[in-house]
Amino acid sequence: MLAIEYFEVECPEPLGAEYYRQITNDVLLDHNLLKVVSKLHVFIDPKVPVFIATGILRKITTVVRVGDFANVNPQEGKMTLVISEETYLAPMLKIFWQRFGKEKVEQPDRFTVILYDVPAQPREIEEIVVADPSESLHKDLIYAFRCIAPEGFRLRTEIFSKEKFIFVASENTLAEDIGGVVREKFALMGEVPP
Amino acid sequence: MTLVPVTYKGGIYQHDIIIDLIEDLGGYIIQKHIIAAEVVLQCFVPREDIDLIREVSRPLFGEVTDSPLVGTEIAIVSMSLEIHHLPHPSCDIAEYVRRLGAKSNMVSLARGPGKRIAGLNDEERDVINEHDIAVYLLGNFETCIEYKMPTLRRGIEVPIVLCGGPAIDVLRKIIDPPVDGYVGNVGRFMRRTKEADQLDKMDEIIAEITRVLEKKRDSIAKDPLSVSPARLMGVIHEKVPEILDVTSPTPLTVQMAGLRVKLPYDTFAERLRKIEVEDGVPLGEIAEVLPSRMRDYILVRVLPSSETNMVV
Repeated sequence: MLAIEYFEVECPEPLGAEYYRQITNDVLLDHNLLKVVSKLHVFIDPKVPVFIATGILRKITTVVRVGDFANVNPQEGKMTLVISEETYLAPMLKIFWQRFGKEKVEQPDRFTVILYDVPAQPREIEEIVVADPSESLHKDLIYAFRCIAPEGFRLRTEIFSKEKFIFVASENTLAEDIGGVVREKFALMGEVPP
Repeated sequence: MTLVPVTYKGGIYQHDIIIDLIEDLGGYIIQKHIIAAEVVLQCFVPREDIDLIREVSRPLFGEVTDSPLVGTEIAIVSMSLEIHHLPHPSCDIAEYVRRLGAKSNMVSLARGPGKRIAGLNDEERDVINEHDIAVYLLGNFETCIEYKMPTLRRGIEVPIVLCGGPAIDVLRKIIDPPVDGYVGNVGRFMRRTKEADQLDKMDEIIAEITRVLEKKRDSIAKDPLSVSPARLMGVIHEKVPEILDVTSPTPLTVQMAGLRVKLPYDTFAERLRKIEVEDGVPLGEIAEVLPSRMRDYILVRVLPSSETNMVV
């Protein structure tokens, strides 16, 4: 939990809060999301019932480039790419096909891609952006919070901005003044809602 | 002769010696698993002959262990089949119970989750009632457990063991009228049970299930069954050869006071009723042959001797 500056689970039942702290930690860890959340306040009241998660996100600036997972070896008339990690292989091939055409791209085996007579320098190839993990970040976070929230809480409202997020869920219609509660939770973290 | 449930584990080499011995001693083999070069037999054997089996199996490096749950069918009632409960803790518990010899079925409720919205429909109720015991796996909040438990237990006639997040004394306080067994501090969690303290919790669940089942066994012993379900299993196995073609892992599932026969009811019910268990005693006279709510299986409920006036 070192990565998170502030992490609290608030609940009228102390034992329940402890369990949910564990669940939140496990789920965020499993989904590899601990590093993107800097502050997190979870509030659960089973009497209402309502589940509120508010938090602050860290900025992720890193994008994945070809050079991050492949070695580009220029040879005469062709370039051989040795892939070390397959995760981004499919989006990379798609970009190559679009840019150079299918006839110039060959993949003899899982870890090798050969480009023939492409009008680009090896340096340029290495700089091509293949994926942006922050694109699916909000989707992943919403999925994670749906796992964390008690089951059956199917009425939800979410606001996910670049820096902050609010996730509210309940099995009953959400109260109109829920914004006030959310504001209180942000105040506990020393922040204001988005 | 009292039969006690045990598990035999040993090599595949000459394991038929053990099978013959158990059958000769008057015991019954409930389940036989062959895993690679290992054989696991779940069986009922006469109490006084356990030492003999141990002695015979010693040169074969076999071991005999008590497993109190052999010959029982347990319903693990999970609130849903969502990621919130699966694979942990529902599957963990179902699997742990299975390791000790029970046949566990996971019963997942269509509208189990939540607090106000939780419910139990008639099919779920009937399926749970077909088991020997129901283990309810509930969540972490006492407010929710207190609110939804009256709905979830409506119409359930089998003993209930309740597992929930709050401490055991809190569970005892909030459940009214009381259920048969409680295990506290086992609510919803999202990690695999592999640490020592988590396994201790599993053992606690087993201990509670065993305690409740013992109580049920005692009450059955007061009015003994007309025929032992394990014996009935042997008879059906012999006289209905179609059972050998069923691909399910346990085509005949032994329960404490009955048997689940995994053959279609319409085709086989009448034939089952006419099977002679002993000279002149058809099965239909000492047991009820009922359609099960689980697929189109047959449920055989053995009648107590007070109703049939015979023990075969």
